[in-house]
Amino acid sequence: MLWDTLRKLSAEFESAKKDAGFQSEFQDLLRNFSGRPTPLIFAVRATSDLGGAKVYLKNEGANHTGAHKITHCLGQGLLAKRLGKKMLIAETGAGQHGVATATVAAKLGLDCVVFMGSEDIKRQRPNVFLMERLGTKVVAVEYGSKTLKDAVNEALKFWMEHLDEAHYCIGSVLGPAPYPEMNRYFQSVIGREIRAELIERRHKLPDAVVACVGGGSNAMGSFYEFIKEKSVRLIGVEAGGTGTKMGEHASRKIAGEPGIFQGYKSLFLQTEEGQIAPTHSISAGLDYPGVGPELADLYTNGRVELTYATDAEAVSAVDYFAKLEGVISALESAHALAEVRKIAPTMPKDAIVVATLSGRGDKDLFNFARAFKDESFRDFLKDEYDRPY
Amino acid sequence: MSNFMNKLDQLFAEKKSGLFMAHMIAGYPTIEDSEKVAEALAKGGADIIELQIPFSDPMADGPAISVASDEAIKSGATVAKSLALLGKVAKLGKPVVVMTYINIPFRYGIPKFVKTLAKAGASALIVPDCPFDTEEGRELLTACKENDVYLIPVVSPGVPKERLEQLARDASGFVYCTSRQGITGANSKFAKELFDFVKELKQVFKLPIAVGFGVKSKEDVAELAKVADIVIAGSVFINTVKNRGDVEKLTLMLTR
Repeated sequence: MLWDTLRKLSAEFESAKKDAGFQSEFQDLLRNFSGRPTPLIFAVRATSDLGGAKVYLKNEGANHTGAHKITHCLGQGLLAKRLGKKMLIAETGAGQHGVATATVAAKLGLDCVVFMGSEDIKRQRPNVFLMERLGTKVVAVEYGSKTLKDAVNEALKFWMEHLDEAHYCIGSVLGPAPYPEMNRYFQSVIGREIRAELIERRHKLPDAVVACVGGGSNAMGSFYEFIKEKSVRLIGVEAGGTGTKMGEHASRKIAGEPGIFQGYKSLFLQTEEGQIAPTHSISAGLDYPGVGPELADLYTNGRVELTYATDAEAVSAVDYFAKLEGVISALESAHALAEVRKIAPTMPKDAIVVATLSGRGDKDLFNFARAFKDESFRDFLKDEYDRPY
Repeated sequence: MSNFMNKLDQLFAEKKSGLFMAHMIAGYPTIEDSEKVAEALAKGGADIIELQIPFSDPMADGPAISVASDEAIKSGATVAKSLALLGKVAKLGKPVVVMTYINIPFRYGIPKFVKTLAKAGASALIVPDCPFDTEEGRELLTACKENDVYLIPVVSPGVPKERLEQLARDASGFVYCTSRQGITGANSKFAKELFDFVKELKQVFKLPIAVGFGVKSKEDVAELAKVADIVIAGSVFINTVKNRGDVEKLTLMLTR
């Protein structure tokens, strides 16, 4: 049913890549709307505390809307306009991709509908509020696990009913072609900026690049530039959740098996028979059973390593980098930071490890307050609730 | 290749149009009850039974079938049990068309899956999320040809003629047409667009055309039968079967 739409999107993407007008409009929005290039922070105090490799943080959280997601949304938004579409559709887990899509829709004058699992709405209410302020309609998905995978299902269904007027702005490097390649193409600016900065400041490539992996958009964006550089370890960090049993995590490293779902073939968490498995992560953005097909291939052929961090390790990493570096990470990105704490001490002092901080932690305020059992924040919420509008 | 005629061909030889295909989910509400559902549908006059092997995330289906699939899986409708049920349903004498999502045959092994279907008596297979021109689509086509099972293409208004012609090269059995872009069980208006599209399908495919998605009443069936050779209804039965005692009502719903 999507054959014609996907074919037209592929053709438009290919022609836009070669079109100077598209490129200059995209670059202008990245620079003057999103605020690129994003900083590469030398984490001096963390480096000294960990006692090994020099730690750098690629702060994608400095982007407008607080995460790397805005980059592929701008790219897709421009493509949607070239295709004559009037509306953007998106799914969202943590709400970051939803807010980014809503923002781009407002900026480019498009309507916007975002699908979000009702479980995620509970976890990420502030982002729902923001999307609504941006003029987007947020639709709660009330079936299945009520998380990201169900939001994708519902967004796909809605799209099939509105193929003529709507572009589905898929939020990661997954889904049917051309989405995996297209979103990786837009996000690959992350890796290019890392390389350029390090060459200028340290005159060398990084020894390792670490990024969290849900579907894999910030990871593919960070890794792509370095795939051919065999000296650079590429490490993806998945959601280890609360344990290694089915339903306790979202790590394909632990239990991913080949499958075909939501229009792409990759590694999925699933049962023996092929039913898609329930997943868990404290971070809504990583709470998803599949991973981008290019990333799955890079993992299968050994170029990319996958590992995982638990919910508790992620929360602890937020705290660690907040106190030592003045950076409050999103829970998703904190999985990458947790891995840095593990590997930096094992690396020599002249080595460089770069962790991509895919998003800042503002959206996780309520989750942090709960994780750190902050009573005064709870009191504040009670007072706020009692105060009349 | 078997010497037996595919039951669908037998049916089409007897009756060219005005056919009715009733949809059900294996294991909904329970495996035992779904056997009764099949009996009731057959008794009520369904010409073809569409048996859906439940998948956790049925992306081409509406909320009724999504929720029912979930419940069927929870009540123990494994793929093995669904296939056993298929054998029993096929014995009722009506042609049985199996519908499922690609990850199920992919995990089972596509050739083995199709062979098992054929042995259990299925006449055709529908996999809405697997285009023919993917690696798995080609694998399905080969396996279906070897086992005399028809692989049914799914199309909807808006699909360009160029694509229809591509699909027609490999199509067999009949064509499954959704009555609008989108999903099952939602509000449907049988627009002129659909009627024109079905006429185009008849020209391109030279096969019986089945139209479904959103059939709620006998009036809907009659309306669609003006243009479709086979009218499909699904979600409406799911809603009836929800209360286990109502299985008998299915027959009443169907008999006029």
